[in-house]
Amino acid sequence: MKKKVIATLLAVSMMGSLLAGCGISTGSENSSSDAKTETTDESTDDSAEAEKTTDESEDITKLTDESMKDREEINLWFWGAEPYAQEAMKSILVDKYNASQDKYQLVVEFRPTVDSDMTTALAANQGPDVVYGSGPSFVMPLVQAEKLEPLDTYAEQYGWKDKILEPYYESGTVDGKLYSLTNGVSTMGVFYNKKVLEDNGWAVPTTMEELESVMDQAMAKGLYGSVTGNKGWQPVNENYGSLFLTHIAGPETMYKVLTGEESWVNDDVKAAITKSKEWWDKGYLAGEDYVNLNFSDSLQLLADEKSPFFIGPSIAFQWAASYFTDDKAENIAFIPFPSTEKVPDTTYTLGAACTLSINANVSKEHKDEAAKIIDMMMNAEFMQEMTAAWPGYWGTPLKDLSTVDTSKMSYLSQQFVQVVQNVSDAVNKGNFGYYDNVFFPAATQQRIVNIDEVWFDTTSVDDYVQSIQTEFESEFEQGLVPPIPKPAAIS
Amino acid sequence: MKTKKMNWNYLLIAPALLISVSIILIPGIMTILYSFTDWNGLSPKINFIGVRNFIELFQDKIFFRAILNNVIWVVMFLTIPVCVGMLAAMLLLGRKKTRSIYQVGFLIPYILAPAVNAMLWLNIMFSPISGVVAALRNLGLDLSSPLASMKTAIYACAGVDIWHYWPYLTVIYLAALRQTPADQVEAARVEGCNAWQLFRYVYLPNIMSTVSLMFIMITIGSFLAFDYIKLLTGGGPAHATEVLGTYAYSFAFSSMKVGKAAAVGLFISFFGLIASGIYTRISRKESME
Repeated sequence: MKKKVIATLLAVSMMGSLLAGCGISTGSENSSSDAKTETTDESTDDSAEAEKTTDESEDITKLTDESMKDREEINLWFWGAEPYAQEAMKSILVDKYNASQDKYQLVVEFRPTVDSDMTTALAANQGPDVVYGSGPSFVMPLVQAEKLEPLDTYAEQYGWKDKILEPYYESGTVDGKLYSLTNGVSTMGVFYNKKVLEDNGWAVPTTMEELESVMDQAMAKGLYGSVTGNKGWQPVNENYGSLFLTHIAGPETMYKVLTGEESWVNDDVKAAITKSKEWWDKGYLAGEDYVNLNFSDSLQLLADEKSPFFIGPSIAFQWAASYFTDDKAENIAFIPFPSTEKVPDTTYTLGAACTLSINANVSKEHKDEAAKIIDMMMNAEFMQEMTAAWPGYWGTPLKDLSTVDTSKMSYLSQQFVQVVQNVSDAVNKGNFGYYDNVFFPAATQQRIVNIDEVWFDTTSVDDYVQSIQTEFESEFEQGLVPPIPKPAAIS
Repeated sequence: MKTKKMNWNYLLIAPALLISVSIILIPGIMTILYSFTDWNGLSPKINFIGVRNFIELFQDKIFFRAILNNVIWVVMFLTIPVCVGMLAAMLLLGRKKTRSIYQVGFLIPYILAPAVNAMLWLNIMFSPISGVVAALRNLGLDLSSPLASMKTAIYACAGVDIWHYWPYLTVIYLAALRQTPADQVEAARVEGCNAWQLFRYVYLPNIMSTVSLMFIMITIGSFLAFDYIKLLTGGGPAHATEVLGTYAYSFAFSSMKVGKAAAVGLFISFFGLIASGIYTRISRKESME
């Protein structure tokens, strides 16, 4: 009997462990237990009977509305955003679309493995009506495989070309036809802790030399030079590859390289890769902790004043809200990457939060609805509402952001809108570089992700650059390189 | 009458055969065919490129690094969890009243999802903010996570997987050990065997078929290693933990080279096939004896 009791207790503790495991927050991943909690909350305060269901085996959360089960579903797959972000999407996009007509309901599925899921589903002529992509370069093979619908008719109908920043609009075209729209601006820059800089008497850096000097001093004091890391998402490496290519190799050289006018094997590109290696060796990228930190961890360290800087993408604003709270709330600020000898003007590496396209294998009616939903996301009002609820992700690349009212937004949301407006101004002046997930074809992008081969001395800079050239040459010949907008230095 | 019986047999076996052909044979053949193409996984246009994928793999040092890591994985799994599992099983064999409780306790890591185990280790052990690494640093020790070093990362990944896997072997070995005829054990004890002799000359010969089967399953499983590496390091740093599984995944879903991924997949199958062949040979030898 005693043995049975102990065995039962152990079994109960095992179940407890399982549930506790489900509750671990990973920053960017959804957890089933969180989703269940939210379902309960919704049922108490939302009469629309909206439901979240979670497929525990695959960690997919599905936003559906039971009261609309007679309606046809328009499907959108998205990455596994955090529960608060899912809630924002539900109230600002899903509910509004569902209320706008009575024939369809928008069903959003949050999938942690959305990229591979999407590729596999589209290969089998399946998949959602609205196609999520992690960047224009992700879209290129889908276009070649005729899985995506050309959007030119809809672009004309909704006036997209007139309202979207030209480099972003053009990056979604293939052979002159539009196939995807970038829904959010992302750029690489420097988050800094104002208090750490003030306490130590360090000025906000305006040049790369000043940035390096502050990092040296911080490390001498036992702080991190800067924090960042690729824990759980190895492609974080590409952020730093893109950053150094923009600011050390320079937009002019990169334009020539990406248009096939010049080889990757040139002194400017080699200097950029060498500079990234120098930073790695000096420990500027969180030192040995790089592989054990993710963006959430990094922002926590920044909030805890363990580092003056977090050098990363502007979409990281969305995780900052969890750590910069109460009296720390306004300690964080963002600046563009400081000027370098090669790139003295304020210049932004143009990145994309994600792209939206339409599945070619769905009915005409569904394509029309998908276009309507995409258009709902491509205006200033949507950006304003989403940024207020979910700062950092929905920086819609619009030419005119003057109607975005930030007066009622939180500090972080205001900061993010300011970043998007600054990027918009810089783009209009032609001061931009190229983020690999927007402008580099897939295999070339993967070589940028593998820049850690140079950092860990398993490949020399010369061999590494040559390997990029080999991949790029092949993809360039196959027409897999997206249109490359001209920077100011060229035009 | 005999013919009618045969027809029934075919009918009864048909569903299993149909499923096997649909989900194993056809995809298997397609994988072989794709390995000779440049298919990107999406395009209807597929070019036959002969053995170019294989030539490129043989010129690729990361591919050989991946094979080496798989071999390291095999060696570690054939030694550490086997020894620990066998030792635990032998110890539990003598604990007739409490062994079921121990088994339940030991099995907790095995029944947790790999994603949960990986997160536990990343956050509780390796994290420089909240993990054991952080705690030791606070005590003044100058150390970093083993995942950060090219020399130790593969062993750290294997260590986490072994932590989750050894209880499974304990349960298997214990079940086999309990089948040993009691009279043989009694006789050995009467003859004055010590614990080691009892294990070596009585228990081990009796469970040899289970041990050899698990050796083969471990070998095959080690060449299929993917989940813990993907979750802990993604194959990094700088391919230090790349195995054939993660390398194939990277080709298929990051570089959009499904043809090359299929070629890597064939090597995974090839090593598994060798292990299966050895097992068949051993089994046949045992049955002949």
